[in-house]
Amino acid sequence: MLSIKDLHASVDGKPILKGINLEVGTGEVHAIMGPNGSGKSTLAGVLAGRDSYEISAGSVEYREQDLLDMEPEIRAREGVFLAFQYPVEIPGVSNLYLLKAAINAIKKHRGEDELDAMNFLKLIKEKAAMVEMKQEFLYRSVNEGFSGGEKKRNEILQMALLEPYLSILDETDSGLDIDALKIVSKGVNALRNEDRSMIVVTHYQRLLEYIVPDYVHVLADGRVIKSGDKSLALELEEKGYGWIEDQAAA
Amino acid sequence: MNDVIEHYVDQHVAMRSGLPGNSSEWLQQHRQQSISAFEKLGFPTVRNEAWKYTDTKLISNKHFVIPEPAEISAGAIDQSVLDAIDGIQCYRVVLHNGRFVKERSILPDKEAGVAPVVSLAEVIEEMETTISSKSPFNDGLQALNQAFLADGVVVRLAAKQALDKPLEILHITSGDRICSQPNVFLTLGEGSKAVVVERYVTSDAAVTWTNSQTRAQLEADSSLDHYIVQTSSAKSYLVTDVEAKQNSGSRYSARTITLGSGLTRNNLSTHMLEEHAHCDMFGLYSMSGRQHVDNYTTMIHGAANCSSRELYKGVLNQRSRGVFHGRIKVEKDAQKTDAEQSNNTLLLSRDAEIDTKPQLEIYADDVKCSHGATIGQIDKNSLFYLRSRGIDDVAARSLLTFAFVNDVLAEVEIPELREYLESQLISQLVPGEEVA
Repeated sequence: MLSIKDLHASVDGKPILKGINLEVGTGEVHAIMGPNGSGKSTLAGVLAGRDSYEISAGSVEYREQDLLDMEPEIRAREGVFLAFQYPVEIPGVSNLYLLKAAINAIKKHRGEDELDAMNFLKLIKEKAAMVEMKQEFLYRSVNEGFSGGEKKRNEILQMALLEPYLSILDETDSGLDIDALKIVSKGVNALRNEDRSMIVVTHYQRLLEYIVPDYVHVLADGRVIKSGDKSLALELEEKGYGWIEDQAAA
Repeated sequence: MNDVIEHYVDQHVAMRSGLPGNSSEWLQQHRQQSISAFEKLGFPTVRNEAWKYTDTKLISNKHFVIPEPAEISAGAIDQSVLDAIDGIQCYRVVLHNGRFVKERSILPDKEAGVAPVVSLAEVIEEMETTISSKSPFNDGLQALNQAFLADGVVVRLAAKQALDKPLEILHITSGDRICSQPNVFLTLGEGSKAVVVERYVTSDAAVTWTNSQTRAQLEADSSLDHYIVQTSSAKSYLVTDVEAKQNSGSRYSARTITLGSGLTRNNLSTHMLEEHAHCDMFGLYSMSGRQHVDNYTTMIHGAANCSSRELYKGVLNQRSRGVFHGRIKVEKDAQKTDAEQSNNTLLLSRDAEIDTKPQLEIYADDVKCSHGATIGQIDKNSLFYLRSRGIDDVAARSLLTFAFVNDVLAEVEIPELREYLESQLISQLVPGEEVA
């Protein structure tokens, strides 16, 4: 599904990613953990195509295509989805309009028929129920005046609607209480199957109790310094990040 | 005397005896004083503080012709111009090159034997008090309009009278080098109510100039929703001058939407003369190419307990230029004034320019006055967010631009007009793109 090789990226001339290697197979869920400033969100942004990074070296292959060569909207249409850490508020654009424009852009790209208003409404109401989102939120401006939890649920709603092959969840757990965390996790788990892969970026182990990963990677100072299975997350929870960083430095 | 001023003075000499109501001495005098004032004032220049950012040379370097009344023909107007706003139910007055065209108008019935909407030419001789009580001229263009005062429309609502449908006043200017100078008088009796849409169009691609004046008198507790919709061709020039006077408890709500013309100057002012009056001024402008729009607004709080709200939003693309001037004057006795003003502009290109200037003059001490101006570009985070959902760059930009001005369009309370303006705006932002 995704093959990242020796990826280097910097922001305003400051190197953030310093040689990332990561292989994500089809149907796998990978967690990326790490201390603040380790480059987790940068990695998520680079994969989705945010243009504030300069990529100086390395390659990213996604479903046998050069991901870095694609515009963000093409990545989205090809099935890459980023659930934002800080979803953007867009006053004046209704949530419903965004959702409809997004799904139809993707359908058109895939050569499928666009959804008409009635089928779209039916589908979106079903998905909204899954993330326990009240229908009134569909008619409001995108994320405007939404609470932190509502914004994250809105991200998962979009993900559920667009059914991406590769989902990247950037600190989706931040700012969520336990109930919201359960709802969000339920939405994510409903999408899990043998065709879809996920990268779950998180600072804390807590989210991984609900979205159980196949692999856990620890990112520090722009590199993957340790990989393991889900037990690594528990170890991190217990010992903090310090011991791994010391180990890596040694 | 410079050559262009002489050009208009000569036309005045040739035309004045044929203007309606010329047998009235006061009217002759009014026109004569006006042309003399124009001779003295001439065209405003950038040295004039109120015109600092708008150069009228594009108008003053051409010799426009003021048409004789007989030159106007009803047949020359294409029906599609009249029917541009799909599905709207309204009364309509057609003013072609400034002249009232009865054959193409749809007028409300008489009420208690009085017609609420009549042509100015028909009643001009009865209007001495209204016309001669006009304040002194702010500039030469106001004077030029009055020098040729001939026709337009008069709307008079009796106490408690309410028009059951909006009244559209359609200003059509056409013909090469034509200057049209319509006059609109709106008089709202106590507790009366009206919705008036002044729509400015050009029916051909000729170089034209429209120099209009609108005067509104709102008696106690009356309410006027006043739309000023401008979609003229980019070859045309447009100067509008609106003055409202408000008595106690009246509500004046102006919405100025500028989507056309090469050069537009909108003077809009209200004077709240008595307590508890309220005024809204909303504006929207979308310009591209080398278009220029100048909204010069004046809000005078002349009595206590009045409130006003002003919001202008615009989008400037390519080499276009916008000017916003927001003057709020709170007079000595206007305690408990509550005034709010803001101007927000989106610059879509490096070469676009906005000059925005609030001007607050506050002579009372117990008032609430706020103002703000923002100038911005498309928000990069919002753009990336939309693109990351599969929406292409061009569509995402147009969507964000549309969203930026959408809250002003939301103030348009006639659904058919709002839809019309939305579709006009969208076709400007991205040809061929549809935004739901």
